[in-house]
Amino acid sequence: MRLTALDEVSERLGLKRGQGLAEARAMFPKIDVMDEDGAADQGLLEAIADWCDRYTPLVALDGREGLFLDITGCAHLFGGEEALLRDILGRLLQMGFDVKGAISSSPGLSWAACRFGRGGVIADRVTAEILAPLPVNALRIDEVTIAALYKLGLKRIGDLMPMPRAPLARRFGMHLLLRLDQALGHNEEAISPRRPVAALSAERRLAEPIQAEEHILQLSGQIAISLKSELEARGVGGRVFELVLFRVDGRVFRIAAGASQPLQDPKRISSLFSERLNAVHDDLDAGFGFELLRLNVLQYDLFKTLQGDFTGNGDSEISLADFVDRVSARLGADCLQVVEPKPSHVPERAEIFVPAIAARIVREKTEEVFAFVPRSDRPLRLFRHPELVDAFAATVPDGPPRRFRWRRIVHEVIRAEGPERISPEWWHDAEEAEERDYFRLESEAGRRFWIFRAGHYVAGETAPTWRVHGIFA
Amino acid sequence: MAEHATAQETLFALREQIARLEGKSLPALAAAEQADSAADPEGRKARDNQPRLPFGITQMDTALEGGLPLDGITEIRSLLMGDAGAASGFALSLASYLKARQPNEAPVLWIGDVVSTQEAGVPYSVGFKQFGLSSRDVLYASPRKLDDALWLAETAVASGAVVATILEIRGNPRHFGLTESRRLGLRAKAAGRPLFVLRHAGEEEASSASFRFLVEPAPAAHRHLPDGSMLGGSIGHPVFKLTLEKSRNPAPLSLLLEWNPHDRQFSLGRDAGEAFSFRNPPAHPGARLPASADRQDRAPALGTVMAFERAS
Repeated sequence: MRLTALDEVSERLGLKRGQGLAEARAMFPKIDVMDEDGAADQGLLEAIADWCDRYTPLVALDGREGLFLDITGCAHLFGGEEALLRDILGRLLQMGFDVKGAISSSPGLSWAACRFGRGGVIADRVTAEILAPLPVNALRIDEVTIAALYKLGLKRIGDLMPMPRAPLARRFGMHLLLRLDQALGHNEEAISPRRPVAALSAERRLAEPIQAEEHILQLSGQIAISLKSELEARGVGGRVFELVLFRVDGRVFRIAAGASQPLQDPKRISSLFSERLNAVHDDLDAGFGFELLRLNVLQYDLFKTLQGDFTGNGDSEISLADFVDRVSARLGADCLQVVEPKPSHVPERAEIFVPAIAARIVREKTEEVFAFVPRSDRPLRLFRHPELVDAFAATVPDGPPRRFRWRRIVHEVIRAEGPERISPEWWHDAEEAEERDYFRLESEAGRRFWIFRAGHYVAGETAPTWRVHGIFA
Repeated sequence: MAEHATAQETLFALREQIARLEGKSLPALAAAEQADSAADPEGRKARDNQPRLPFGITQMDTALEGGLPLDGITEIRSLLMGDAGAASGFALSLASYLKARQPNEAPVLWIGDVVSTQEAGVPYSVGFKQFGLSSRDVLYASPRKLDDALWLAETAVASGAVVATILEIRGNPRHFGLTESRRLGLRAKAAGRPLFVLRHAGEEEASSASFRFLVEPAPAAHRHLPDGSMLGGSIGHPVFKLTLEKSRNPAPLSLLLEWNPHDRQFSLGRDAGEAFSFRNPPAHPGARLPASADRQDRAPALGTVMAFERAS
């Protein structure tokens, strides 16, 4: 077992990462050792990354112990780069994290300056000066290359910079030069943010944290008002909204809510979240309150401006969309569904359920989807899995049974219609899938069933099974 | 004297309020309205505009005081889970009947119950289409809990976004009692939208539904041939055996109702006389057969009300 991380005291004692545990114990018998919990470390890093969303939407994880923040165009909101860095480091220190940070024009340089230099804000013109005295480890290259460079006496980045490039590339590969160029800012390097950037976003910072749900709703309504003008300018309405709540102690809650129609109206946006908040009620622990609220528009769509008419006919569409949104926000998108017909003659494949919120309830008069129209009657309720029945006295080879037992009740068949043969779809089903002969049966009580026989009666083989697949009115 | 008159007026106002809450018409109120109507027949018509959907069948419409109420709860009950087909069918035929007579494009909301779906099957839209409800006319909801289902029903009814709401319930759950049904009833009244409570395998229970039907399966009608005759042995339009269990009308009504999915129209069951086969007699045969006097009477039409003459 080896040491993977050290605290300040043990670092001062001279212990190193990668050292054997037995060796460390031999040197200092009293050290406390804890098992590494990689998942928890990752979780913590992601929580900090979430918290960093308050500074910029572009936050990327860097390995196990670092974060990249792309602050392009954000620094002035916090009073400049110096102030921004001070704010981040200060707040994280208050939370109990010992953090180093650097701001520069390339991720590679910031990485090196944080870990091997003094950090801080690095101006573009001093890039080479800052980088030159740093060891080659600061270039994010693998151990083998580092060891080889050390062997040749190339210990600092400054030693590499004046070297001719071609021999370096030939000996150590292109990767070394790529990293060097990235650190110097000659080569553009992109960070990969954890979350997609919201199309539109507005936020409100609060001097006094808020806890109550109604305050959150009221504020989100106000934020939505500030979003409205931007939405109108683009001629779009939001389809998926996200409310991001930053709690005082650093936890971040994200509440997403979808709408079936593009929305601009602040009241309707806010009412989406009122249902969502009701649904997530228990999971949303306000603690000491939220200090920052942000409303993101994750997806948007063209907004059709409808002029209201005097008869008020336009209202029914809006109220239906509103109803769908409210239900989907509260009970989940899967709760409310519509049916899409599918071109298949097999009964259970003739339709699929899709969430109403995705299916555009208020459809334009679209052309009818091609669907198989059966010639004979179909039941009102269909069993997901056809249930086995014991059929008695069926007319061999292709007649209906005289009576059958389903769920321990014997039904006498009075009338029967059929058979209707439904073949399996060879392009979906396996070869051994059987043809079904469907019958409509009416029992003496007046109940009507849809029953099929899978396969045929063949002399010398076991009799085919009968199943009930649905019930009629 | 003046005090007495004021008290009378307060009392009258209170009575009026109670009557309005209960949806009844007070005799005095009715008299006053009649006096009004004599003076202003147009106003009377407007005030009398209680939303009702007539069936076009005299017996039914008389028993339902003009038709199916469009601003309240109608309960549809079945005795057994096995009768789920008939009960669902009747609820859907009501929704379809209603949809066919309303010009707007709002859908019908079906709020399913998880266990009923497992027991009696998933609503099948292809079958719905043949039954008179096209696939885009229906919204299916499958809430996990009864509380969610009730919330959903309340929201749907109150929003006025759907033509009709069908709430599927299994048995008599404790959480859906008089209070909840009263609440739903008030919402329905305010929004003027009907709510059909489809109760599978349920007992009779006090609720604020204005009418309650007991639905039992009945043999289907025969198929019509183009020349007007019937095709023997075929299974045609569905027929429901309805019993109006709860209504203001004290005489119970029981009839066979046939649903024509093509015309989206109800009619009285044709072969009412032979509805019950020899092997499966109705539970209380005595109640339906008249006592024979000197000779056997012919079978009376089903559902007629026998009222005795006043003794004095």
